[in-house]
Amino acid sequence: MSKVKPSSLPPDTLIGGYRVVRKLSAGGFGVVYLAVDTEGQQFAIKEYLPSSLSSRAVGALLPQVLPEKLSLYRLGLKSFFEEGRSLAQISHGSVVSVLNFFRENETVYMVMNYLEGGTLQDFVITARDLKKQKVFRESTIRSLYDEILRGLRIVHQHKMLHLDIKPANIFITDDNRAVLIDFGAAREVLSKEGNFIRPMYTPGFAAPEMYRRDSSMGPWTDIYAIGACIYASMQGYPPNDAPQRLEKDRLSLALSRLRGIYSDNLIEVVEWCMALDPLSRPQSVFSLQKELSRENERSYTKLTVGEKVRLQFDTVVSDTKKTARKASALATRFK
Amino acid sequence: MKFSVFQLSRIGGRQNNEDRMGYCYTRESGLFVLADGMGGHPQGEVAAQLALETVSALYQKEAKPILRDPAQFLSNALLAAHLQINRYATRKAMLDTPRTTLVAAVVQGNSATCVHCGDSRLYLVREGQLLMRTRDHSFIEQRNAGLTRIEHLNRNILFSCLGSTAKPVFDLTGPIKLMQGDKLLLCSDGLWGSLSDDEIVLQLAGKPVSDAVPDMVESALRVAGDTSDNVTVLAIEWETPDIFESSQVIIADSMLDGEFASTIQTGLLDTKTDDLDEASIERSIAEINEAIRRSGTKKV
Repeated sequence: MSKVKPSSLPPDTLIGGYRVVRKLSAGGFGVVYLAVDTEGQQFAIKEYLPSSLSSRAVGALLPQVLPEKLSLYRLGLKSFFEEGRSLAQISHGSVVSVLNFFRENETVYMVMNYLEGGTLQDFVITARDLKKQKVFRESTIRSLYDEILRGLRIVHQHKMLHLDIKPANIFITDDNRAVLIDFGAAREVLSKEGNFIRPMYTPGFAAPEMYRRDSSMGPWTDIYAIGACIYASMQGYPPNDAPQRLEKDRLSLALSRLRGIYSDNLIEVVEWCMALDPLSRPQSVFSLQKELSRENERSYTKLTVGEKVRLQFDTVVSDTKKTARKASALATRFK
Repeated sequence: MKFSVFQLSRIGGRQNNEDRMGYCYTRESGLFVLADGMGGHPQGEVAAQLALETVSALYQKEAKPILRDPAQFLSNALLAAHLQINRYATRKAMLDTPRTTLVAAVVQGNSATCVHCGDSRLYLVREGQLLMRTRDHSFIEQRNAGLTRIEHLNRNILFSCLGSTAKPVFDLTGPIKLMQGDKLLLCSDGLWGSLSDDEIVLQLAGKPVSDAVPDMVESALRVAGDTSDNVTVLAIEWETPDIFESSQVIIADSMLDGEFASTIQTGLLDTKTDDLDEASIERSIAEINEAIRRSGTKKV
């Protein structure tokens, strides 16, 4: 039995003095609308409407919550408040800002500034598809992450962790600002209670301790994700996920492909951020910022012949493995 | 606003401590609460805790930084706590509801206002004399007041409390103008069941609250012996002239607008239960908007 997603509010619905223009996105937690106020100013409004716990008929305003899901629904609501509360305390250009919070239709709405532009993920994919040697220029990467880290530093100063930093949650506005969006603190609370909505981490960007859900999470957990984002901005693809890395870590190998293209320092920064051991990573955003803003002359180390051979060999081996897997998959199908 | 405060709760000879106490304050107002979860019904400590949390949550919402009408606030808060306990019982599908007494005092603008329901008491002592104390909602106190003429009465039987199916009967006292050095004491029946009013007044008058409270609790426990009830006492001295070293002296004047301090842990409402009632939803939204306003003004 598949669950029907609650339907979003149709355009021109009035909520809390704002008029819905259209749906921008929908996630496990609810729906984000583009809306305008009476003066025509645009806002992004997030509606709390967890798809697994509530339903809403097409054209209806009030969501229905299944009685047996009510306690989880309320719990989620609390998390939604947490997200609002977290964001409300922060006023920084690199962190999405909450402008208003109101109740209507028996649920709650969070009004945020509407950002025009695209996510870093969109940019990475576009850049990657150009098939150039570099996905982004190194100077772009450095200044982009410097901006992101300024925002993240404020977040950490407020004793919060984002816990879901990934290119899809870094927004690049049309006026070239980088903004952290979609605060995961909410999800964090929920996942502690278990069985909720969806995996609470994004493979590739989530540090190993996120999988363990223990108390070892800290600023370094977000820093791992930043490292993974930088990796993706260089490579065009997300890194292997943490469980894979714990089994067999190919990060250094993968990064060595970027030698000579990006500076040694930047590659080392990524390796530092993405250390599997939380204690081996930069322990604060500040220490990472310091490293990232080093204006030393960049040195580039070309690959040695031996390394090139190994890389090639690695490609051959993985290709062979893939072919072998395909072959055996075919074989099973033909049985 | 300046006051000394000291609170202490001891389990006595019981299995659980079903008493709860706490205080919170803003720059210009203070709230002091004590609840005694009732035996004979399930989960007295939950009822007491819910009562404290509800009252303090409402206080935090409305004391900005003073309550507009302390008497109105106290009666609303008491009824909200009562509803909250009933709601809890309904949600847990309990056959019998948890129950509790409640005594709460608000001090602001040099006066004290108090509400109470059940047999937890408030004493007000001025210059060594008992200025007033609350009358319990028990049959024995009714008889003492000449209202009932039944002979053998158990002091423990109350005709009103929070959490029962009947709407609670409660009394408001005050506002009473406070003078420098006045002492207010909130206590559960564990204290007054063992010590007479005179003893309580004597102890309270002679020492700073930080000494008087532990001494009183200690003597009550000693008098009651091995089977002592929980003993809980919270006392404040108004506009303390001297700084007593071991008591908590609160000088609230230095607090910022909108600042709020509380000793009441909101464990129950927040983690154990998923109970976000209307009031707490409204409160959360108000808090968020307040935070937005604050961080917004910072930016400008």
